[in-house]
Amino acid sequence: MTAPGLARSTTPVVAGGGPMAVVRSFLAAARIGWAVDANWTDPVLFLVYLVAKPVSAALILVVMVQVVSGGRAGALTSFVVVGSALWSTVTAGISGLSWSVLDDRERYRMLKYLYVSPSDFLLLLMGRGVGRIAVGGLGAVVTLVVGVVALGVEFDPGRVDWPLLLVALPMGLVAIVALALILAAVCLQTRQDAWSYPEAAAGALFLVTGAVFPLAVLPSPLQAIGLLTPLTWWVAGMRAAMFPDSPSSLGGDGSLFARLAGHAVPGSIEIVVALLATGAVSTLAALAVFRLSERRAKDRGLFDQTTGS
Amino acid sequence: METTARSPRAGLTRGGRRAFVGRTTTSPADAATWSRRQTIATELRAVRGRAYPRVRAALREKSWVLFEIMLPFLSTSAFVFVYRALQAPPEYVGFVVLGGAMAAFWLNVIWMMAAQLYWEKDQGNLELYFAAPMDLMSVLFGMALGGLFMSSTRAIVVLAIATVLYGVTFSVDQWLLLGAVFVLTLGALYGLGMILASLFLAWGREAWHLTQALMEPVYFVSGLNFPVARLGLLGAVAVAVVPLAVGLDAMRQLAFSGSAAPAGVVAAPIEALILAGMTVVFIWLARWSLRSLEQRARRDGRLTVRWR
Repeated sequence: MTAPGLARSTTPVVAGGGPMAVVRSFLAAARIGWAVDANWTDPVLFLVYLVAKPVSAALILVVMVQVVSGGRAGALTSFVVVGSALWSTVTAGISGLSWSVLDDRERYRMLKYLYVSPSDFLLLLMGRGVGRIAVGGLGAVVTLVVGVVALGVEFDPGRVDWPLLLVALPMGLVAIVALALILAAVCLQTRQDAWSYPEAAAGALFLVTGAVFPLAVLPSPLQAIGLLTPLTWWVAGMRAAMFPDSPSSLGGDGSLFARLAGHAVPGSIEIVVALLATGAVSTLAALAVFRLSERRAKDRGLFDQTTGS
Repeated sequence: METTARSPRAGLTRGGRRAFVGRTTTSPADAATWSRRQTIATELRAVRGRAYPRVRAALREKSWVLFEIMLPFLSTSAFVFVYRALQAPPEYVGFVVLGGAMAAFWLNVIWMMAAQLYWEKDQGNLELYFAAPMDLMSVLFGMALGGLFMSSTRAIVVLAIATVLYGVTFSVDQWLLLGAVFVLTLGALYGLGMILASLFLAWGREAWHLTQALMEPVYFVSGLNFPVARLGLLGAVAVAVVPLAVGLDAMRQLAFSGSAAPAGVVAAPIEALILAGMTVVFIWLARWSLRSLEQRARRDGRLTVRWR
């Protein structure tokens, strides 16, 4: 018989609470996440960390382009800087939830207590991860500013497609959270050394999303995988909204998109619809995978399993 | 009065010989006095004991094959396609492949060496390390050996698959020097990892951010995907202080001899000497910093306080 008070709530949200309780729970988790990640540290070091990682990632690509083009690759430099900046949000975003699982299980040994707390476990994880998405977003902004100021990226605020930007941005963030949820589900099942798994997954997606090179250079099967990935459409949408003169990462002569759609470059509506469809499928799949993983973890006692190697 | 210090395993024999842990002594002070042979045997056991969980963990849980070999291979492939999109000369693809293989070792140094003692502290193992009759260097050496198993596997797979898939052609004139440079690079990298392990431990929670900050910035200054000589003064400074930078630069010169790509920062034999110097200095510094740390741990009793 389960002792009163220890039984896990079967309701998907905070037991006995309405929407305000859900919001309170989420905000508390977000505040804890920020405290764990950032607010104790030396601000200068934190700023260096925040800026150094995405800017360096962009500089690697810029130097690669410059080495080959001999300094005559204006549009391509912009292409890789923008893609790399956006990708820093993806990398940071999909790490947040996984690291929360690993942190709370392996280091602080609090995961089992969080799991039996009245708040919904998924909601707590989302709250813990939101800080990292913010950190990644800030890194993206800094990289874009460095790109515009120092690397010759042309940006005209008057030409920004604001409706596309305002629609694509939140839809992309939802897709990032969905991928983060899948990785958190994986990390619930794995050992401590899974710290690098989110980075590895982000690196693999880097190949098929057209973040730093047009998808047309990939073999058709890889292009197809890219077209089924919401992040591909998000990167394309953000790039088209903020830098309308930038080459398309999706289309172009001989690309799979051009062959399927009958025209070379996707329009704003196409991007939004594709992002909505792929994002919805990813989100539903992520929820299903997470619930499966959660159930398996509960069955096998993985919530308080600590490893180490 | 004669005392006999006997461990639970005293009197056990292995292969007909008395085990080292059981011996007759005349006093506690005598029992605490170890012969050189006992000390070496204990240190070797510590190395083996610390390497064991890493190798076993890798063999028991197969998910690392996907996440630490296949997905990083795809990540390396992304940079290959950047060069293909730029229609770069084929040797640049080789540079990326070599960089992708060597990145495995750097990641291992950062995640599984530098940050490890800090994580051991959080898990409550560190005080056991300090209390155990062994040198912490043996623990770090065991970590390095265990980690090398995983990172070598990843490096070999990335190198082999990418070479076949992307048609990389190596042109090696000096195999011996290339092998020596590779071994010296690993020595310098893991020596640096041992220093960072004690520094991260002293810096506490900053370690987490430092682990992050030592990835892409180090990839950039090391010229992971391009010849580091293109960075000018920054590249020269990196070759002088970052083992990954000098190792990669030397290996690229040796593995793609006669390439039309820009020359290395300095000649490969000189870079081999730099790596040898780094290996000696880093391991000496690691030993010194660990000794200082151990003294501090025993004096203040703060280093085993968790989550700081």
